[in-house]
Amino acid sequence: MSARILVVDDDLALSEMIGIVLRSEGFEPSFCADGAAAIEAYRSVRPDLVLLDLMLPGMDGTEVCSRLREETGTPIIMLTAKSDTVDVVAGLEAGADDYIVKPFNPKELVARIRTRLRPSQQPVGDVVRIGDLVLDIAAHEVRRGEERINLTPLEFELLLALASKPEQVFTREMLLEQVWGYQYKADTRLVNVHVQRLRAKIEEDPDNPRLVTTVRGVGYRAGA
Amino acid sequence: MPTWLSPRAWGQRLARLWRSSLQLRTIVATVALSAVASLAIGTAIAVSVSGLLFDARRDQVLTLSTNATIAAQRVFDSTPGEDAEIDSILNEVMRTIQSAVATPEGTQYAMQLVPGQPASGFSANTNSPGFDFRAWVSDELAASLVDEEEDRVQWQSIGLRHPDGAVSPGLVTASPLEIRGARYALYLVYDIRDAQQTLDVVRLALGLGGLALIVLIGGITWVVVRLVIGPVQRAAVTSQRLAAGELDVRLPVHGDDVLATLARSFNGMAASLRGQIKELAELSTVQQRFVSDVSHELRTPLTTIRLAGEMLFDRRAVFDADTARTVELLHAQVQRFEALLADLLEMSRFDAGAADMELEPVSAVRLAEQVMGAMTSLADEKGSELVLVTPGGFAEADVDPRRVRRILSNLLGNAIDHGEGQPIEVWVDSDADAIAIAVRDYGVGISAAQLDRVFDRFWRADPSRQRTTGGSGLGLAISLEDAALHGGWLEAWSAPGRGSCFRLTLPRRPGEPLTSSPLDLPPAAPEPEYVTEPRPHSSSTESRT
Repeated sequence: MSARILVVDDDLALSEMIGIVLRSEGFEPSFCADGAAAIEAYRSVRPDLVLLDLMLPGMDGTEVCSRLREETGTPIIMLTAKSDTVDVVAGLEAGADDYIVKPFNPKELVARIRTRLRPSQQPVGDVVRIGDLVLDIAAHEVRRGEERINLTPLEFELLLALASKPEQVFTREMLLEQVWGYQYKADTRLVNVHVQRLRAKIEEDPDNPRLVTTVRGVGYRAGA
Repeated sequence: MPTWLSPRAWGQRLARLWRSSLQLRTIVATVALSAVASLAIGTAIAVSVSGLLFDARRDQVLTLSTNATIAAQRVFDSTPGEDAEIDSILNEVMRTIQSAVATPEGTQYAMQLVPGQPASGFSANTNSPGFDFRAWVSDELAASLVDEEEDRVQWQSIGLRHPDGAVSPGLVTASPLEIRGARYALYLVYDIRDAQQTLDVVRLALGLGGLALIVLIGGITWVVVRLVIGPVQRAAVTSQRLAAGELDVRLPVHGDDVLATLARSFNGMAASLRGQIKELAELSTVQQRFVSDVSHELRTPLTTIRLAGEMLFDRRAVFDADTARTVELLHAQVQRFEALLADLLEMSRFDAGAADMELEPVSAVRLAEQVMGAMTSLADEKGSELVLVTPGGFAEADVDPRRVRRILSNLLGNAIDHGEGQPIEVWVDSDADAIAIAVRDYGVGISAAQLDRVFDRFWRADPSRQRTTGGSGLGLAISLEDAALHGGWLEAWSAPGRGSCFRLTLPRRPGEPLTSSPLDLPPAAPEPEYVTEPRPHSSSTESRT
């Protein structure tokens, strides 16, 4: 079954072109040109991934992003024309998994999509423990005791990467490569923002993290 | 010795005060000049007063002496006594003289035969007790009456020594007397201490008056200077605040004088400055918004074009030769256009002051390794080997890795482009304050004149050279801005035939001042194995920017 991808962009030429690229790669695209209609489109299409333009009529892309996150962990990749503005950070903080800067090439786009759609690699076992958390890899679930914690697939992978090697300190570049699939391009804001989001969900006190700790000047590690 | 006692420290403090205080300088100059003036005037007054006093006193003394002489002469003339009676006659004469010249201090007198006169049978030489011939009667005075025709009273100034050792001014007069055919000189000594006392009082009054005048002038100058300099100082302080960015400060305007004009024109200047800065700020905001809009508006259609171009490019095998070539050209030029657009937008972001930094503790060596890794394939195409040289420590520094990576990619790209297939060295070193990365190639190099322009926008060393990295011509200009944003340096060295070296020096923490770079430019001697053959150095030009 081919993956369904919802393209939310007001530029019809670009949407159509992205559609052509996606179809040629075996994906099944559907389109929405208005921010306000994006949530409705999501509910009817139930896509496996959302490509979301940041500048949209009707509703701002960042707003659409946080509305989507309220009901789903479906991977969201932002399309943005501005790579170094607060918009990108705002989009990431709103829950976008990754972003692509326009103009991008088809290979880049497809690579980003495939990374986000791939099933979790290298199963290290059925269950990984970190502190009082239990990661059920098969079910893609995190539990604290009986309580189930809702993580997006990206957050789950980030936590899994850290938790499966609790002794290792991960640099931001290592995490970018392992979780986001980047080789040399490294916008470390991706890591920083998502570690913050992850902490907000799993830590008892996000300001004083105990599960995902910062190693100053190096990166992060799973501490228990 | 404590510093506040050291004369040197005091001297320095005074010198600083002197330089910094217009008030002090004005007051000191005014007081000094008026002191000189009143000293001159006071001296002139004192001299003329003492002259007048002396003349009046002398005239009085001469009158007294004349009277005394006439009286004495009369006594001698009217008492033709025997020689034996001379003593009583003399006593009579002395009484007469004393009553004629009596002054409160008492008058010393003496009578003596004029030198050169034939001694008569008796001697009328006499003097009052304590009359000091040697001190009071000079030879000139004694000789002045030798001339028979001279019948005027002669006089001379002398100093009178008192028993207590003090000396006061005095006058001695000499007048001729005819005593029985012999010519005698009558010496009378006057103490004119009272005149000297009067003069002293006058001098004291002049001195005190002058001093008071100087103090008064100093005070008046201080008040006047305050009146004038006060507003000027306020203007200075206000303009400093204005320069520091407080655009709302204004000077108070009082009256219609020159200071009010100064205040008014200053306020006018401040207002126009504020207006222009506001206008510039608005322009800058408009510019930034424009850049942002252009960014979005251009990038979206460019993305579509790029996607389309890539699709066509991937399928060019099925096209006929001309169409396939067209697609290739389209593909390459879209990429070039995209690079140019990205650089242009980056440049305008710097120009608008909208560039911000994402600081992270980063190891310079690791950054260099990453960038070298990314450039290896390009270097291989050109036959250049990339060599990392790390003579020193690798402690991390707070930099924006994205910008440093961009600088290094750019420098390495240029080095590969112009490196003539020779090895390219990347040197990394650091010290307590700074990190430095130098990219050294052994290619053609450029001349000093070209080196001066190497950071100019859209400038190319050799327009005919084929470029592989497809630069926009903005690369080094952007790198320079990236370095400046960190408070760092980007410097170039080159010599024709010997290659080039670009050295990036960044402070460990942005904004900390740099004083030196941990690496030389170009860094030390190249490792021998990379020098293929010695080149003639005599014709080379070396320069630094």
